[in-house]
Amino acid sequence: MSLPTSLDINPQRRRLLKAAAASVAAGAGGTLAFPAIAQAKPFAGVKLRGAAYQHGFFNILRKYIPEFEQQTGMTVDLQLSAFPVYNQQADLELSSGGNSWDFCNVTFILAARWVAAGLLANLSDFAADRKLTPASWNPDDFVKGAQLPYLDKAGKAYGFAWEGGAMLMGISRMDLMKKRGVEAPRTFDELMKAAEAIHGQDGGSGPVTGFVSSNLHHWFLPPYVQGFGGDFFVNPPSDIKPALDSAAAIQATDFYSKLLSRYSPQGVLGYTEDQARAALIGGRSNIFIHSSSWVSAMLTSPDSKVKDTARVMRMPAGPKGDFPASNSQGLGIPKNAKNKEAAWEFIKWTLSPELSARIVKDTGHPSICRRSVIESAEYKRINTINGQDLGKLYLEVLEQPGKTHNYMAYRTVKEFPLVGDVVNKAVERVVSGQQPAAESMKAAQEAALNALRRSGAGLASTKSS
Amino acid sequence: MPAASYEGQRRRFVRMAIAPSLIFLLVVAGLPTLFLLVTSLTPGALVNPGSLGDFSDPLRNYKLLGGDERFVGSLRGAGAAVGVHGGAAGVAGHGARAAGALGAGALEVAAPPVRDSDGAAAHRGGGDLEAGLHARHQPRLPGRAHARLCAARAHHARRLRAVGHRHRRHLGVGAVHLPDGAGRAADAAREYVEAARMDGADAWRVFGHIVLPYIAPVLLVCTLFRLIDSIKAFPLIFLLTGGGPGSVTEVTNYYAYLVAFNFGELGYSSAITVVLLVATVLISWGAMRLSRNAGATE
Repeated sequence: MSLPTSLDINPQRRRLLKAAAASVAAGAGGTLAFPAIAQAKPFAGVKLRGAAYQHGFFNILRKYIPEFEQQTGMTVDLQLSAFPVYNQQADLELSSGGNSWDFCNVTFILAARWVAAGLLANLSDFAADRKLTPASWNPDDFVKGAQLPYLDKAGKAYGFAWEGGAMLMGISRMDLMKKRGVEAPRTFDELMKAAEAIHGQDGGSGPVTGFVSSNLHHWFLPPYVQGFGGDFFVNPPSDIKPALDSAAAIQATDFYSKLLSRYSPQGVLGYTEDQARAALIGGRSNIFIHSSSWVSAMLTSPDSKVKDTARVMRMPAGPKGDFPASNSQGLGIPKNAKNKEAAWEFIKWTLSPELSARIVKDTGHPSICRRSVIESAEYKRINTINGQDLGKLYLEVLEQPGKTHNYMAYRTVKEFPLVGDVVNKAVERVVSGQQPAAESMKAAQEAALNALRRSGAGLASTKSS
Repeated sequence: MPAASYEGQRRRFVRMAIAPSLIFLLVVAGLPTLFLLVTSLTPGALVNPGSLGDFSDPLRNYKLLGGDERFVGSLRGAGAAVGVHGGAAGVAGHGARAAGALGAGALEVAAPPVRDSDGAAAHRGGGDLEAGLHARHQPRLPGRAHARLCAARAHHARRLRAVGHRHRRHLGVGAVHLPDGAGRAADAAREYVEAARMDGADAWRVFGHIVLPYIAPVLLVCTLFRLIDSIKAFPLIFLLTGGGPGSVTEVTNYYAYLVAFNFGELGYSSAITVVLLVATVLISWGAMRLSRNAGATE
């Protein structure tokens, strides 16, 4: 399969007619030509305001936006803020029914809340309207796992994914692993042994830690909980009673906390993703299990010191199965946006197969969500590094929740941020030695129940599991 | 112009002069407080805009606070900080009161009560070392001579007390702003320390009855500053620890921020803030009383 080209697009009828009329006018005479072309631009004079958080994708996108402005006649004002700042702004802007944004990022962990509260416009209607959207745009081309957070119960989409995150394992020092006779881990047990074997070994410029992670424990812990046979909630999304004090959750917390307290750098509890990534690509930490874009930096980043010794692979499986986490970020339109059609035009253009393919080709940016692009020969060529097909790994993980039961459902319930924060605190207590895992997770269970009751969540039962 | 009238006019002028500032303060502090108070009576969840107008169970948030471990924990942390600082304030205030009771001297307990010519208590423990010594070692004089001696002692003790208070004032204010004042205060304190030592006071007694009362005003000011810092300790926690590890560094205002902006529960967060506000007002009131008591002894 080859990358789609701009010739594959079926132009909108209205735009085609206008463009044709403009061409005729242009051919008719010099002085009439410019105004006629200007009129052919369907959104001439519209100023589109949007907001998102600072991410490499948007920096890339900004380079292409002038083309869009040239095509449509509108101007795009894209404001980027730090991730937590953006989320707070967006929460306030959307919930207060503001109309200062025409489009916005639909943050993964907040998507369920926003969709459930009806704060976003229904994009399925736009996508199904042939006057607004050509059939070639094909909303079904988005990887299903990446689209799940933006769908309501009826399957209507309130956002379309611009980025997918697939949890993969990055190993930076395969040279040390080989030297110590340690294979790349495929199970939780092997992961612990590999971390132990490498921790403290001389990496050439100092000792190497066996493992590294960042402070987003509510993202890192669930695959271990599920791998030991548990979950965050009893049966999400229908039963959101927390299950944090289950035997599996306690075992997973103990396991993950040992990786952090014994085999990670000192101060790892305060590590941000950037710091963990720096430790990995600098060869100072051996294993980092995180989204593909973070760990594949070992192979793609110009700052990487471990390009020759790095390996990216599926994260290890637990005794009860393999549940690598996945997520995505989407673009949506606030319910009260002033320029909904213009905003849809922008989203449609940003997430078109053609632009996605160009971005991959021009920049190597891998984490797009268009299946047709991910499966293309060009994408595979660009994203096969050191013989490792990153695209294949990425797609495998991204699609996994859609193939079996949706084990990522825990993260799409609107109460997840509350419970996630409680879990963060619980892990920190264990790693810092304040409490053993069982005690900490029991306290977390109580705290989560209280938080959910307070937020008005309908709990089937309030007894601890 | 009569003094009372002048004073009245002066007061009116001051009132008029500060009126704009007071109105401004009322607007910038009063309106948000009113908003917090009203919001705290609603469920006020960001994802449910209608809940901001739901007053069906106005005390719901306040009832939930008691069962919220993190809120209680954050209060405990803040309470410990306030306790330490408040304790210091208490010591300072107590010290200042003790100084007032003791007068300008150190060992007035050694001086027996003397009576003036009317037989009423002239002073109790005048604090004048010499007077105390006189009282102990000299025989009681009869009639007018005794009355004159008592009056002289009382006058001398009052004068010394006034001098002592002036020196303490130097230490409390001047020591902060004027090195010269600090020097004079230190000189004065030294005199009293020497006097106390001559009378056999041990180091603890000298510290408790002379040094501590002298530094009480400074301690009180420092304590109030630290108290304010401990209540508004937000930026460092936000930047450095995020309230962790666990919740050990999570103070109440940081928790209120999390609840409002990370969890979107404006109503509950407002209730936390109102409780914090009430606690702050109470603590400030207590500190002001201590401060006033300390000042009253000057």
